[in-house]
Amino acid sequence: MLASQTRASVRLARRSFATVVDTAGFKVAAVDSNQPTVAITFLAKAGPRYQQKPGVAHALKNFAFKSTEDRSALGTVRESELYGGVLSSTLSREHLALTAEFLRGDEKFFVDVLASVIASTKYSRHEYEELVLPTIESEVNALHADPATHAIELAHALAFRSGLGASLFAAPHTAVTADDVEQFAESAFAKGNFAVLGTGISQSALSALVAAALEPASTTAPTTAASAYFGGETRLDTHGTPQTLFIGFGAAGAPAPELAALAAYLDPNPSVKWARGSSPMLQPENTSVQVVYLPYSDAALVGLLIQGPSAEGVRAAGKAAVAALKGTSQVKAEELTSAVAKAKFRLASAADGRAGLVEVLGSKVLAGLSETSLEASLSALDKVTAAGFTKAATALVKSKPTYVALGDTQALPYADELGL
Amino acid sequence: MAGPLGLSLAPLIRSSPLLTKIFTPAAQWYAGGSLYRQYGLLYDDLLIEERPEVQKALSRLTPREAYDRAFRIKRASHADVLHAPLPREQWTTPEDDIRYLLPHVLEVENELKERAKWDTLTVKRKF
Repeated sequence: MLASQTRASVRLARRSFATVVDTAGFKVAAVDSNQPTVAITFLAKAGPRYQQKPGVAHALKNFAFKSTEDRSALGTVRESELYGGVLSSTLSREHLALTAEFLRGDEKFFVDVLASVIASTKYSRHEYEELVLPTIESEVNALHADPATHAIELAHALAFRSGLGASLFAAPHTAVTADDVEQFAESAFAKGNFAVLGTGISQSALSALVAAALEPASTTAPTTAASAYFGGETRLDTHGTPQTLFIGFGAAGAPAPELAALAAYLDPNPSVKWARGSSPMLQPENTSVQVVYLPYSDAALVGLLIQGPSAEGVRAAGKAAVAALKGTSQVKAEELTSAVAKAKFRLASAADGRAGLVEVLGSKVLAGLSETSLEASLSALDKVTAAGFTKAATALVKSKPTYVALGDTQALPYADELGL
Repeated sequence: MAGPLGLSLAPLIRSSPLLTKIFTPAAQWYAGGSLYRQYGLLYDDLLIEERPEVQKALSRLTPREAYDRAFRIKRASHADVLHAPLPREQWTTPEDDIRYLLPHVLEVENELKERAKWDTLTVKRKF
């Protein structure tokens, strides 16, 4: 009984935005799988990639749901609590997402909240100083306590310099003012620069609600130059955190499916939880190795993040990681098949959840691509051939590596010591 | 009952053109006669600041406004020690006597009122 119900709900769950409609200057896409809750996301091209002043995108992310012409910051929070909804804002390198999740039936209120955040946030100086700056500060402190995220931030700065290289975080004592945030918001929420994505709501209902609540301003959207890959090496002395290495390579241009397969191929971790893999990258003493694959609209970063308690273990794992990265050109047919299967599973399971669906497909909707389903990305992975894989891997490894060492810089190896 | 600004009949007087006409010259004479302008102060420098609302409002001044306020108060205190008003060119002119702190105090008051409203809200289902 339960099993048949589960199967029915699996059949019902759709994983693509059926249609994208352009309503009065912004794209609306929705998918309804009959789930009990609704989520609406306003996705804007307002990540740090598009910012004019460092840190302003991070400040804008934290300025979401503060006082607007309609209600105060406190009123927004308390009223949402009465409806039992959750408001959140998330920042990626390219996009800013303002999301409301709530029960069916409360669509009108939450669309109104999101629309007023976009159209009429006051960006007042005292709110910036009293509410936004402390949040920025604590997020920056959390970054400095998390060497994995910090290493990825540094790696982006090395790999892409400007544009995608801009940090997700503001500097600890940022020079950004409330006026800067207001100016950035004006351009970020310009006509055509954001999309409305809904899950658990029909396309027509969402379009009608948003069109009634919001009249986007016709200001000019922020622009950015095409990404280029540079690479380089940096070392940062920290203490009290695990020794961390990031060894990676980047590629400019739309991310090829071969890179996703390469990332899956490189992953030394076994598929069974708690099992130990036999890869030489997995050293004793809890040295962990994670594959990092970060695709963007016109670039991608592939690499291995190695963390461990001792610099020696990390050095040995780093040597094995470099050997693995350099050895990707001699891939066997069955290894490629299993890597492609792994990559497909990762993509599909990422898009299973609501947040993942918006992340995977939202950028496609925003870019105005006609094709916004998951199936296309999966079938692109199916078309990966051994020749194409080898070619992509060779080209990637030929570029200058991006190397980040965080921790005890006296003991951690330099890039050339690992054979890069 | 009375907020940080004390009891005030000003809104009532401002709402009536006749009362405004009667009281404006008197108010101007009173402001000029109460001597704070001769000590280089603005009216909002005299607001009682030992209250949480006014303290919060003071924290919201721009650095320039906060500096100027501290300077005026220091200069006035010094003049008071000397038992003499400032030289005439340093007196506050009526045009300069703006309410720089009042909007912030009102804003803080409204925020506190709103918080009290949300804290004591009774939720009724409409349908």
